[in-house]
Amino acid sequence: MMEAPTIVIIGEEVGAYGGAYGVTKGLLKEFGKERVIDSPISEAGFVGAAVGAAMSGLRPVAELMYIDFSGIAMDQIANQAAKIRYMFGGQMGVPMVLRTQGGTGRSAAAQHSQSLEGWFLHVPGLRVALPGTVSDAYHLLRASLRLADPVVFIEHKALYVQKGKLDPTQADADWGRAVVRRPGDQVTVVTYSRMLTYALAAAENAAGHGVEAEVIDLRTLNPLDLETVSDSVTKTGRAIVVTEACLTGGPAAEISARIQEECFDFLEEPILRIAGEDVPIPVAPALETSSVPTVELITEVIRKLVR
Amino acid sequence: MNLKMPDLSTTGSPIKVVRWLVEVGDFVERGQAIVEVETDKATMELEALGPGTLLQQLVPVGSEASAGDVLAVIDETQAGSTVIGNSHTANEVSYHRDFLLNLYERMLLIRQFEDRVKALFLEGSMPGTIHQCQGQEATAVGVCAALRPDDFITSTFRGHGHALAKGLTVQEMLDELFGGVTGCCKGKGGSMHIGNIGKGMIPGIAIVAGGIPVATGMALAFRMRKTQEIVACFFGDGAVAEGAFHEALNMAALWNLPVLFVCENNLYGASTRIDQVMKNTKVSDRAASYGFRGETVDGNDVLAVYEAASQAAQECRSGRGPVLLELETYRRSGHSRRDPCHYQPKEERAFWSANDPIIRFAQALLVDGNADLDDLDRIQKRVDDEIESAVEKAKTTPKPGIEDLLTDVYAS
Repeated sequence: MMEAPTIVIIGEEVGAYGGAYGVTKGLLKEFGKERVIDSPISEAGFVGAAVGAAMSGLRPVAELMYIDFSGIAMDQIANQAAKIRYMFGGQMGVPMVLRTQGGTGRSAAAQHSQSLEGWFLHVPGLRVALPGTVSDAYHLLRASLRLADPVVFIEHKALYVQKGKLDPTQADADWGRAVVRRPGDQVTVVTYSRMLTYALAAAENAAGHGVEAEVIDLRTLNPLDLETVSDSVTKTGRAIVVTEACLTGGPAAEISARIQEECFDFLEEPILRIAGEDVPIPVAPALETSSVPTVELITEVIRKLVR
Repeated sequence: MNLKMPDLSTTGSPIKVVRWLVEVGDFVERGQAIVEVETDKATMELEALGPGTLLQQLVPVGSEASAGDVLAVIDETQAGSTVIGNSHTANEVSYHRDFLLNLYERMLLIRQFEDRVKALFLEGSMPGTIHQCQGQEATAVGVCAALRPDDFITSTFRGHGHALAKGLTVQEMLDELFGGVTGCCKGKGGSMHIGNIGKGMIPGIAIVAGGIPVATGMALAFRMRKTQEIVACFFGDGAVAEGAFHEALNMAALWNLPVLFVCENNLYGASTRIDQVMKNTKVSDRAASYGFRGETVDGNDVLAVYEAASQAAQECRSGRGPVLLELETYRRSGHSRRDPCHYQPKEERAFWSANDPIIRFAQALLVDGNADLDDLDRIQKRVDDEIESAVEKAKTTPKPGIEDLLTDVYAS
């Protein structure tokens, strides 16, 4: 915001309160209410306003407090932001970022815990980013703010308390490129967002049993960096896709299909998916934990796949 | 009539006169920029509230004035020799004859365009569907005549009239309707998404009420960037029942945004009559509940629309917006291509036929002596020729190739 005076933030509680999870804390004081705009509880209204502002010279960052609320704003996201460039014959696009957060981990129950990235993945015209590290929460967001297209930037509520290193002098994230977070040569684990942390822990566990897993952090689902993934799978011959999003019709299915199309001749085992249960997220902590993949489960699957 | 300095400064500091745009003795039209002034925040032009002759410039260039000070005196009785009194509207104001004939020609162009497009659809040479606006020409033309070229509009699936009124050409629109690569959206948008950003029209938003938050955001950007632009947001009575209408009007009010909300109340949301879906059918009443001004206007009287829209546009431009205009009109065509319109009662259709905006305005032009039958024939012929020549070209416009299918989804 210091570099680009056109960046404005709009959303519920983003100003005086500092955001439901404190992400925009202090920005109102620093940049004023012209640029940090507390909106009414009107998701369609303020997301739509961000679309219009993006078409009129600003670079808005709309904050949707929970990804679960996106249904209310979906027309503006999927019909307006995503399609304006195409149906306008390329005359102009919608350079905005829709920041939101999803996932389990705080016993927020069925309407405040979902992993809905698949909804946005299914809409041509939207870019979809999911940071899994502290550094990406910053540098991937910066990269998103340089794009000329709408980006749905999905943070994970359980990662807000995660500590990590941030080097603000580092370059912006290489947009659309996945990162190999842990090298290994026996199996490739493809994941993103909070499941990256789980997958890395599982890979360490597996290493204790002599199995070396390579862990890939996709960072963006659109674009999908199939090159990095297939380079790895071609080498390991085995692939596991891990998502917190529920299994049926979910992103794990899409990623698996792409790997299969790309790497069929190199696969020694079927591609496996580890995903959330097909269930509304329950509130009881034990049930909530069981509704999404665990480190233990990922460890076990890694070990079984590399027999 | 005096031109007074409006309350433009948020800090109450004096406002400087930068330059006069009209000489003493010159005739000015309603809405014409007269003087450029500068506040502590921005530079802007003040417009004449009505036509007349500029008699006096009371504040010299470089001097300062405060809100309420009289800047200029305009004599409405001294209309120039080319201006003929028009008894058509309540305010008894005068308009330049060319201005009136241009309004007429715009409306006729829309009507003839729509009728010709309908024929092209019926003969099967055009793809897709259409939502036509025969009967509603005065709303589009009256509102757009009150806007400046750099103002914006948002439109709906029923946007042909808005586009023509905002200055899109018949050719770029017909090419688009034929799915041609020379169309305004390169054959990728079609009838429902007509637009040309260079002419101040974003693509038509074909989701009911979907354009209302977008227009609100555009106005937010104008205000932040301290431009003098405003946006007129067209929608139908059907949109009033959508949540997006409520959300956007509340936000626009809250932030005093320069949006002119234009509800074309044609009595039907698709086939359902307005009194089947709302208890209070007076749409303009909604504005008060959000804390701004609403007004219901005879939407088939192009000058009444123009005057109401000019007033509203000026309010928006001076930071006193938004405004909700409800324009009462009637759709003479079906909702979409295949709709035979059986739900509109015969008597109702007859009433509105007698109230047709083009016929009414033609009669007024004749009665007031602003045009004779030869003038109207000449305009008709010009419009017909323009459309026919465009149709011939549009029929053979090159179509996008398969290599164009996946372009324009993303910037890169």
